[in-house]
Amino acid sequence: MNLLDWLVLLCTLAGIIIFGLYKSRTTRNLEGYFLSNRSMPWWIVLLSIMGTQASAITFLSAPGQAFADGMRFVQYYFGLPLAMVVICITFVPLFNRLKVFTAYEFLEKRFDTKTRLLTSFLFLLQRGLSTGISIYAPSLILSSLFGWEILYTNMVMGGLLIVYTVSGGARAVAYTQQLQFLIIFAAMFLAGYMVVHLMPPDIGFVDALHISGKLGKFNVITTGVEDGKFNWDDRYNIWSGVIGGFFLSLSYFGTDQSQVGRYLTAQNNRESRLGLLLNGIVKIPMQFFILLIGVLIFAFYQFNGAPISFNSGLVDDVRASGFAQKAGQVERQYASINLQKQAAASQFAAAVTKGRQDSVAQLTQKLRALNDSSAAFREQYKAIGKQASRRDTNDTNYVFLSFVKQHLPGGLRGLLIAIIFLASWGSIAAALNSLAASTVCDFHQRFATKNTPEQEYKISKWYTFGWGVFCVLVAEFANQLGQSLIEAVNVLGSLFYGVILGIFLLAFYLKKVSGTAAFWSAVIVELFVVILFFNERLEPFSFLPDVSFLWLNAIGALGVVLVGLLLQTFTRGTSSAQP
Amino acid sequence: MAKEIEPAPLFRTWKAWYILVVLWLCGMVVFFYWLTKYFQ
Repeated sequence: MNLLDWLVLLCTLAGIIIFGLYKSRTTRNLEGYFLSNRSMPWWIVLLSIMGTQASAITFLSAPGQAFADGMRFVQYYFGLPLAMVVICITFVPLFNRLKVFTAYEFLEKRFDTKTRLLTSFLFLLQRGLSTGISIYAPSLILSSLFGWEILYTNMVMGGLLIVYTVSGGARAVAYTQQLQFLIIFAAMFLAGYMVVHLMPPDIGFVDALHISGKLGKFNVITTGVEDGKFNWDDRYNIWSGVIGGFFLSLSYFGTDQSQVGRYLTAQNNRESRLGLLLNGIVKIPMQFFILLIGVLIFAFYQFNGAPISFNSGLVDDVRASGFAQKAGQVERQYASINLQKQAAASQFAAAVTKGRQDSVAQLTQKLRALNDSSAAFREQYKAIGKQASRRDTNDTNYVFLSFVKQHLPGGLRGLLIAIIFLASWGSIAAALNSLAASTVCDFHQRFATKNTPEQEYKISKWYTFGWGVFCVLVAEFANQLGQSLIEAVNVLGSLFYGVILGIFLLAFYLKKVSGTAAFWSAVIVELFVVILFFNERLEPFSFLPDVSFLWLNAIGALGVVLVGLLLQTFTRGTSSAQP
Repeated sequence: MAKEIEPAPLFRTWKAWYILVVLWLCGMVVFFYWLTKYFQ
C-alpha cells in the first residue's frame, strides 16, 4: 500500500460517511426511522436489496470460488428469480396492506403474540451473530494480507458505518447503499479489465476463456450426474440451484427482516415489486460477472506464477517456523512446475490462435497434468501450514485480494480495498437497521412503558447503536475462537432460516393451523435441527445421519409444516387470528 | 390478497412481468449451457 492507495481508501470511506450523514434527515418517528416514511422509488429499493445481499465476502469469495472450482457456483442463484415472483405475489401485498414494520408483526395478526416473539427472537439471534462474523471474515483476510491489526480492522469494518446508520436510519442506509454499489461495480469492472490487460500481449479476453474452459473452469451448467447417477453430495448443479436456491431465496427475501425492511421502504406495492423483480433479473448476470473475474485470474496465473498460498500471512508464518526447510523444498518444486506451466500456456495460446487442433488437444492434456501437480504441491504446503501456523490454510477467499495486492497499480489497489469495506458496510448497515427495528417493534413496544413518537425515535437510535457495538464485539470474540469461522455465517443461517420459513408457510398456506400449533412446531423442529447438526458431539443422538448444512433449510421448513399440521390435528385447536 | 390498485409498468398486467422473469431465467440457462459447451 503506497500513499496514493491510502488516499483513495480514506477518501472513499470518508466520502460515504459524509454522504450518509447528509442523507440522514428523516422524520423523528418510527415510520421515518425504520421505513423512510415508505417513500422510496423502485431503483433505490433494487440497489438496497442488492447491497444488503452482497456483503464483502461475496466479492472476496466468489472470484476465489471460480478460481478453485469454476463458474458453476452461479447455479446457486437460479432459484432466486422464481422466489422473487412468489414473494411479489404472496408476501409483498400482504405486508404492505397490513402496514407492518417487521415481517414478524404479520405473524401476530395471523397467529398470536408468542409465535411473533419466537420468530423475531430466532431472527435476532441468527442475524446478530452472523453480522458479527460478517465483520470478522473480511477483516481477517485484510489483516492477514496487509499485516493490519485485526482489532482495529474489525472496528473500521463494523464501527464507522454506525455513525450514519444511527443518525439516518433506513433512509441513510438506502442512499449510501446506492452510492456504494455504483462504486463497487465500477471498481470490479476495472479489476476485470486489468486482469486481461496484464496478461501477455498476444492473449486476449477470449483466449483467456479458452484456457480456463479447457482446464475445466468454464463449467457454468452442470447436471450433478456422474456415471449415470445423480450425486446428492454435489453442492452446486442446476437442480440444487433451482430447488435449493428457490427455498433459500424465499426464506431470505421473504422472512429475513434485513431484506423485508428494504422493500417495506418502497412507496407502494408497485415499487416494491419492481425492485424485487429487477433483482431477479440482474442478480444472476451480476454473479456471473464476479465469478468471471475469478476465471480470468485463473487464466492469468497460467502465465504468471501463482503463489503457493494466497494467504501471505501463512507463508510468512511457515518461513519463520521450524518447518521452513521442509516447506522450502515444496516451494522450489512448485516454482519449477509454475515455469513449465507458463511455457505450456504460451504454446497453447499460440496453437489456439493458429487453429492447430492437434497441438491444442496435446497441450490441454499437458496443462491439466501440470495443474494437477501444482495442486498437489499446494496441498502439501497446506499440510505443513496447519502444523506451523494458526492461520487459515484454505486460501480460496484470499485469491482476489492477493491478486489486487501483488499485481494492480497504486490507486486502483486502494480503491479495490475500499470496495471491500463498502460492500461490508452496505450489508451490515441494513442488518443493524433491521435488528433495531425488530427489537423496538417486536419487543420494546410490548414490554416497556408507552412512549411518544419522539421518544421511540430516540430509543431506536440507541438500539441501533447497541446492536452495532454488539456485532463488533462478536467479531472481536470470533478472533479468539479460530480462523475457520469464515464458513460459519452460512451454517448459522441454515440453522434458523428453515424454521422461520416454515412458520411463514403455515401462516400463508395452511389457514387452519393455530398459533399454538405453529409455536410448538417451531420449537420442536428448531431443537431437532440443532441436534441434527451437532449430532456427532451429542452422544445420545449419534445415531442420526450426518446432513450437510444446506439441507437444514428444507428440513426446517418442511418439518415445521408437517409437525404443525400434526399438532393441529391432535389438539384440534382453531385459528383465531385473521390474515 | 390485496386488491391490485397500482398498474404494472410497461405491461398491462403483473402476470406479464412474472412470465418475463421466468423466461429470462430460461434464456440465461440456455446461454450458459452454450458457453459451457463452447469453451469446453
